[in-house]
Amino acid sequence: MILVPITYKGGVFRHDEILDLIEDMGGYIIQKHMIAQEVILQALVPKEDIEIIRTVSRPLAGEVKPAPLVGTEIAVVSMSLEIHHLPHASCDVAEYLRTAGAKTNMIGLARGFGKRIGLLSDEERDIINEHDLVIYLFGNFETCIEQKMPTFRRGIRVPIIVCGGPSTEALKKIIDPPVAGYIGNMGRFMHRTKEPEELARLDEVVAEISRVIDQKRISISKDPLSVVPARLMDVILESVPDIHDVTSPIPVVVQMDGVRVKLPYDLYASKIRDIEIESGIHIKDICDLYSSRMRDYILMKVKPFSETGLLV
Amino acid sequence: MSTLEYFEVSSTEPVGGALYRRIASTVITDHNLLKVLDKIRIFIDPAVPIFIAVGITRTVPRKITVSDLAGVTYNEQKIILSIADETYLADLLLILWKKYGKDRILQPDRFTIEINSSEENSLETIETLAVADPTESLFKDLIYSLQVICPEGFKVKKQNFHEGRFWFVASENTLPEDVSPLVEEQFRIMEASS
Repeated sequence: MILVPITYKGGVFRHDEILDLIEDMGGYIIQKHMIAQEVILQALVPKEDIEIIRTVSRPLAGEVKPAPLVGTEIAVVSMSLEIHHLPHASCDVAEYLRTAGAKTNMIGLARGFGKRIGLLSDEERDIINEHDLVIYLFGNFETCIEQKMPTFRRGIRVPIIVCGGPSTEALKKIIDPPVAGYIGNMGRFMHRTKEPEELARLDEVVAEISRVIDQKRISISKDPLSVVPARLMDVILESVPDIHDVTSPIPVVVQMDGVRVKLPYDLYASKIRDIEIESGIHIKDICDLYSSRMRDYILMKVKPFSETGLLV
Repeated sequence: MSTLEYFEVSSTEPVGGALYRRIASTVITDHNLLKVLDKIRIFIDPAVPIFIAVGITRTVPRKITVSDLAGVTYNEQKIILSIADETYLADLLLILWKKYGKDRILQPDRFTIEINSSEENSLETIETLAVADPTESLFKDLIYSLQVICPEGFKVKKQNFHEGRFWFVASENTLPEDVSPLVEEQFRIMEASS
């Protein structure tokens, strides 16, 4: 069964029918937002059943759209939290990626600015490495990007996408060895992105990220994970009652190869390790649990089939 | 930016320079500096690195007096101020409290101030009383907006504002003791082309 990421947008009225339908067909609801009279669902559903959801949602005036980034956690790295970089362009990019289904975390570096003085601390590096992908939002000058890039890629194991003021070709030329993706003409700016050409550039960001994410999905599918992270999320939501007391909007964040559980590691890690997923198979058999550098959350990474010999 | 007589952003990297022109334009408009700026020239060399901004301001608005923001009437033992523009009301109250004392200043409603004063010449003096000096905040606003425009890593700064001419120099490295040759060169280019 191939699961496809989608976004469903519709009214509150009878939306529970859509929830039931997605669950009945073996899909997973990753996020559910209720904004006034509107419901936005981000879900993974079986590819062959998308038309059924469309048919059922038509009388409810619901809309089903492919959302390529559902089920990914992306780090949007701003060089600082000063007015120079916020709210534009950092927030504009982070917000636009959310509309494409991604869970984005904005990371403002403590000493990221400057070409010679720019630094990446070990905490920042570890937090970035907990994500599926990182986007660096650089400035407008080639000289600066070229000089500071080695510092910002040191120790980073996840795919890097570079956004900067120079053209994509110029970025490709100055960054050596190459990174996973480039988006040019998207450097520092101080105005809101609302003109058509600027929105088109944000679409380019989504397209470039989707391309890189697809490559990562293909490499994961060559040695599939022992359990689909979305299913792991469902198991945790069912088996750990305390997760429902977490005030965070997304208490369990689905990543491409794991989940982030927003519960304290010391108190809950051993309980989660012992949860039984299927007869005789526990979470500890197919997952590694780490203490996250992001607060005291739990980071779970699913082991591949080649390591466990299990496919749940 | 049509109201500026001269506006130029130049850089050793033309692409970056064009992007910084847009940034400068946005920041100047957002900070409401179009009215006071006459000419501005920015030069950025990221290789050095250095950021130089030079410019000339228009005739700065004069001091704001009580008669600019309120109607003054005299009623027996009271001077009544009918406030038309609230912008400097807080500053005005502070000045009046200091001059007459809090017990003699009454504000029966938002737009009226009553001063209990028996001095005969108070009416004339109060009308010409200076409430605010816009030039004080102008320099701060100007330098703040140039700090916002300049690349963030440029933490070492020097600035000056004298008789309508201002300059701002910033770098990531230490600046030379005397930056006047750098500044003068930019002033010369600006004056030659305008």
